[in-house]
Amino acid sequence: MQLKQTLIIAFALSVISITAWELFWRSQGLYPTLDDNEALWAMQRSRVETATSNDMLLMGSSRVLFDIQLNEWEAQTGIRPIQLASVGSSPLPIFHDVVNNTKFNGTILVGVTPGLFFSTTSPKAQPWQWPQTKVDYYKKRTYAQISNHLLSLPLQKNLAFLSDDQGVDGIKLKELLGKINVGNRVIDSMPPFHEFGEIAQDRNNVMKQITVTDTAYANSIIKVWQFFMKKAASGPPPDKISTMAFFLKDLKTFKARGGNTILVRSPSSGSLRFGENMGVPRVKFWDDLVKQSNLKAYHFEDYDQLKDLKCPEESHLSAKDARYFTTELVKIMKADGAFSNLKTN
Amino acid sequence: MLFNSLSFIVFLIIVLALYYSKLFNWTGKKRMLLFASYVFYGLWNPPLVILLWISTGVDWITGKKLATEENQRKRKLWLLLSMCVNLGFLGFFKYRDFLLDNFTTVVNTYGYGYQSQPMDIILPMGISFYTFQTMSYTIDMYLKRTERAKTFLDFALYVTFFPQLVAGPIVRAGDLITQFYEEKKATVNQFIWGLFLLTLGLFQKVVMADTLLSDTVDKVYSADKVLNFWDAWMGTLAFSGQIFFDFAGYSTCAIGIALMLGIILPDNFKYPYASLGFSDLWKRWHITLSSWLRDYLYIPLGGNRHGIVRMYSALMLTMLLGGLWHGAAWTFIVWGGLHGTYLILERLQRHYIPFKITAWNGMFLAFTTFTCVNITWVFFRAKEFKTAWNMIGSMFYLNPEGAKILGSFDILKVGIIIGLLFICHWFMRNTSVEAVSKKTHPWALGAVWAAMFFLIAIAQGSGEQFIYFQF
Repeated sequence: MQLKQTLIIAFALSVISITAWELFWRSQGLYPTLDDNEALWAMQRSRVETATSNDMLLMGSSRVLFDIQLNEWEAQTGIRPIQLASVGSSPLPIFHDVVNNTKFNGTILVGVTPGLFFSTTSPKAQPWQWPQTKVDYYKKRTYAQISNHLLSLPLQKNLAFLSDDQGVDGIKLKELLGKINVGNRVIDSMPPFHEFGEIAQDRNNVMKQITVTDTAYANSIIKVWQFFMKKAASGPPPDKISTMAFFLKDLKTFKARGGNTILVRSPSSGSLRFGENMGVPRVKFWDDLVKQSNLKAYHFEDYDQLKDLKCPEESHLSAKDARYFTTELVKIMKADGAFSNLKTN
Repeated sequence: MLFNSLSFIVFLIIVLALYYSKLFNWTGKKRMLLFASYVFYGLWNPPLVILLWISTGVDWITGKKLATEENQRKRKLWLLLSMCVNLGFLGFFKYRDFLLDNFTTVVNTYGYGYQSQPMDIILPMGISFYTFQTMSYTIDMYLKRTERAKTFLDFALYVTFFPQLVAGPIVRAGDLITQFYEEKKATVNQFIWGLFLLTLGLFQKVVMADTLLSDTVDKVYSADKVLNFWDAWMGTLAFSGQIFFDFAGYSTCAIGIALMLGIILPDNFKYPYASLGFSDLWKRWHITLSSWLRDYLYIPLGGNRHGIVRMYSALMLTMLLGGLWHGAAWTFIVWGGLHGTYLILERLQRHYIPFKITAWNGMFLAFTTFTCVNITWVFFRAKEFKTAWNMIGSMFYLNPEGAKILGSFDILKVGIIIGLLFICHWFMRNTSVEAVSKKTHPWALGAVWAAMFFLIAIAQGSGEQFIYFQF
């Protein structure tokens, strides 16, 4: 065997093929992005262990992730919040984790996306399972997993082909194969879903500009929301009693140790907002939550500077509007004395 | 630490750099390898390294005593001590909840209403592998089949050697400890071949098992409904491919990494899906475990020395315990029982209806064996019997109205991969990757190597754990 020769050939071909692959995807408009995975979330969650009463945590679904911008928040408060929101998730498992597994007694902003907040307490339901998976990962992560993540960050930041996007935008081998459709043995009724956010290492997330500039792109995402709304309409109704009881119990514990909680309802628009108003009407859900929890609460509809914001894909704000929303929201909250724990305030 | 992870790449580079540097003499290199092995294990769960230390300490002392003690009763007691510690760990960490569940079920059938408290104990990674490895040393010492390890360092490294620590191959003392006595250094060709095997193993794991097959398996085996004939078969065939690529991939990586250090580990898989019957299968699948079970269980139980009934009983018991070794659940015991039944039926066939295997009936026999193996995989993969029976029903066309959950492409993909896997095993059954590589032009081999590396890179494994780690 001429193994030295084989190794040289293999090395040369590997370098050529991977370089070509990277250049190809860059020519298609892709650029390096970070993956919003459990490991990235866990890095932020670990910061809670040393957070003081002056610190602030953000929890909720993707609306908190997209709509609250960390730079603007920091500019207004002097504190950079810890972003723990999780897409497609109820905030309850993460709130429960922080309340019961840490001594944190600062401020927690809980984003209320009614369809998710009031959805369920069933551990197997997706709005619960997704955030719980992150919590479990954090609790069980090994030193090897931590070092894998830290080593992967520079690669993710520099190589476009390492994108972990899924669905139509996915370019991993598994995702590329998943796009091949032969016959119609099983019909997948879910419309194609584009990844429309970009996340930073501290989980500051912004909407991709294409979602704002390309209506077709935005509409494809709206179709996905409509698909989920139809699915939700045919599924079990919101479980307001269980979710409220779960939240209020943890809230009591958190308040008892001096923690400060703020509720925020971020904007939605178009058919999605119409659907939300029908399925989880404000008076019955949000207003009752605010009343029973007795917390500072901010609904975008109640403020002139926020109520007319439009979401390009009906559920999240563009990067520009998110910056505006964050700045205005924090101003409102400060004026209202919402940051009762903030010593510098 | 997983082989398919960035940390491991960095870890291996550091270990190789230190190993081939002039910083250490041979003893220093062995110390470095031992320390690295503890780091390799400890990065998963540091406190569980203590189990390794206890196992190492107990078997070192036992081996030392067995080497000098002539009193048979005392020798037996020393052996018993080692067995109790090793099997005690295994029983506590792996089988405690299983035993407790069964105890609770039995007690409650008599109306006691006993409520057990599952301890939810973490299963130390690879505990079944390293306990079997250390036990083999002690048993061999007891039977005077092997020499006592010369130094504690050699023995500790034998128990903990990181390439094969968590998922084998399970190596006998005589095959590994003796390699530590003299300085080992891979030749350039050995080093490059080791690197090739590491790439091949990672390709099997990351691309074949995790990327191409695992989703189909998970979809089929987590479906909470009765499935269609095709879906059940394709899910099971996909699992047969997944578990082979996953486990053989690990073994290939382990052999390759050890070779890069100049250490030779035994083969663990020899194209098992082209086996001609079940005796042949167990000489080709997880070879180091099946030979362990043969030498330390089947033969001590009497083997074929005490008549047919005793032989078949020993065979069945060995396979049942082999099943239990894989996991603390009745489904694994049924898996072992099915293999035991197959082996008994095969021996009966050889005795009463012998026939000569030719090239023509050989292919048919291999295909029949592979099909029967797939039936057993259902019990291995299903989390509960209900799922297993539903799958078996669907595979035997008893559920013609079963649900279709796999797309045509999934079926096509699995069909092609498993078809090629079977054909590949058939043509490779009497040769090896090394022999084929020797006949291959460097350009072709280099291109294959690069293609594997490229596919690993674009598959970007998410660092999924090897299936056999849980055993």
